[in-house]
Amino acid sequence: MADKLKRLRIYWKIWWTSSILSVESVLENRLGVAFLLSGKIVRFIFFIFFLVIINRQVQQIAGYSLNQMITFFLMFNLLDLFGQLFFRGIYWFRDQVVTGEFDFKLTKPVSPLFQALTRHTDILDLPLLVATIIFLFRQGITLTTSQALVFLITLVSGMVIVTAIHIAVAALGVMTTEVDHTIMIYRDLSMMARVPVDVYTDSVRALLTFVIPIAVAYTLPAKSLLGLVTLPTVLLALVISALALTLSLRLWHYALTQYSSASS
Amino acid sequence: MRISSFKKYFQVAKTSWSGGFVYRLNFVMWRVRNVVQLIAIYFLWFAVMSRNPTAFNYSTSQMLTYILGTSIIRALVFGQRSIDAQGEISSGDLNNYLVKPISYFRYWFSRDIADKLLNILFSIGEITILLFWLRPEIYLQTNPLMLVSFLLASLLAMVMYFYFSFLISMTTFWIPEENGWPQRFFIFVILEFFSGGLFPLDILPPAVYAVLGKLPSAYFLNTPLQIYLGRLDLSQIVTSLFMMAFWIVVLRLLANRTFRKGLKIYGAYGR
Repeated sequence: MADKLKRLRIYWKIWWTSSILSVESVLENRLGVAFLLSGKIVRFIFFIFFLVIINRQVQQIAGYSLNQMITFFLMFNLLDLFGQLFFRGIYWFRDQVVTGEFDFKLTKPVSPLFQALTRHTDILDLPLLVATIIFLFRQGITLTTSQALVFLITLVSGMVIVTAIHIAVAALGVMTTEVDHTIMIYRDLSMMARVPVDVYTDSVRALLTFVIPIAVAYTLPAKSLLGLVTLPTVLLALVISALALTLSLRLWHYALTQYSSASS
Repeated sequence: MRISSFKKYFQVAKTSWSGGFVYRLNFVMWRVRNVVQLIAIYFLWFAVMSRNPTAFNYSTSQMLTYILGTSIIRALVFGQRSIDAQGEISSGDLNNYLVKPISYFRYWFSRDIADKLLNILFSIGEITILLFWLRPEIYLQTNPLMLVSFLLASLLAMVMYFYFSFLISMTTFWIPEENGWPQRFFIFVILEFFSGGLFPLDILPPAVYAVLGKLPSAYFLNTPLQIYLGRLDLSQIVTSLFMMAFWIVVLRLLANRTFRKGLKIYGAYGR
């Protein structure tokens, strides 16, 4: 136990140091920061404005009110920003594999997966993450203790799935050196959860629930916040998230056996 | 442009076209991304219009045609290789072109044409598959005048966007950090909304549309599709086409001037 705690402290220290370095490197280019930050904020505001525009003439979309639609969008943002803030390293992972720099990661006494995912902490996502949390609180949703518990479970499940997908993308990166597009396809797919997945056809919904569990990761926490989730659905979320994590870790370990160390 | 000069740029376009097939997986993945984005926005509008078939003064078929149509117009207008120009300015690779007997603008325009053709081909294929799968109500324009105006507007939008995008790339002379990506990202976000990528702009409140409808960005996607849907009368079409021609002249002058000014401060960093 003491050993595990010591190891956890080491990982925390590595993450903290690399995060500080990321922040310092990002702040080197202040004008760039201003553009990127403004872009992220404008995109956030525009989508809410888009929903408001629709609501001017349409009271409900797929049975949801404007306020509920905004909750779905905020919850999407919360989980999306979680992935981007902590796992931004995946965007640079292809270079490491292609150039052979990944060899150096393998020789260090720290998990290569941890290094691949967390090499860069995107501080630029932090302001929007904080804003999203504040907006969620201001939605005026009240939960009973059991509803709050269900929400927490689905939220953690969502985070686990987001983590699992990033692990799977890293594994595919080792095997195929195709990370840039894979992660962007995931980002585009996850964008489908800016609105409740109920708007899609059965086949698309099934794909987003069981194949790439975007719906479980993004829509379910929002639904639980709105008190629209039943116990069997929560159990299903737990099973799917556990399965996703297990499979992604297996895929990662398999991918390591396929790593050819090209270009090094 | 002389024939020998045309041949030179035709060769550039041909090479760029072949290049598209070299990185096949990359290209297919890029198209997959486009389809996913299209499906997301299509279903949202389908959900909206299926219960409110005349909302926003659009019929369901008009709205869904608009959304699906953006896919093809996007490929024509926004499909580009010239975005790489900003990386060349930032990395100093621009030097390679300055010593060659070619026009940097024409070089990239030729490459863009090849990229657009490739994207349009795939886009038409994707739309065909989606039409078979989704079987949406589609608005078919049969008026030859509207169809010709639509084609003309689409081509003008393509040229307009080329100079607009080049102008954004030119900012890299002054802001070279991260290959000019931050300013490009900001413009992408603005364009997605202001060009009518998510919805036709005339569903906005009249006061907002009065302003947005006159910005150059509105001509990229919104205007060609409005013409196709027959929502503009003849005088509005003529005015729009003239405005697009006007913006092309202005943007071209600006891009040329900015390029020349940029070259004066160009430090060939990284070389």
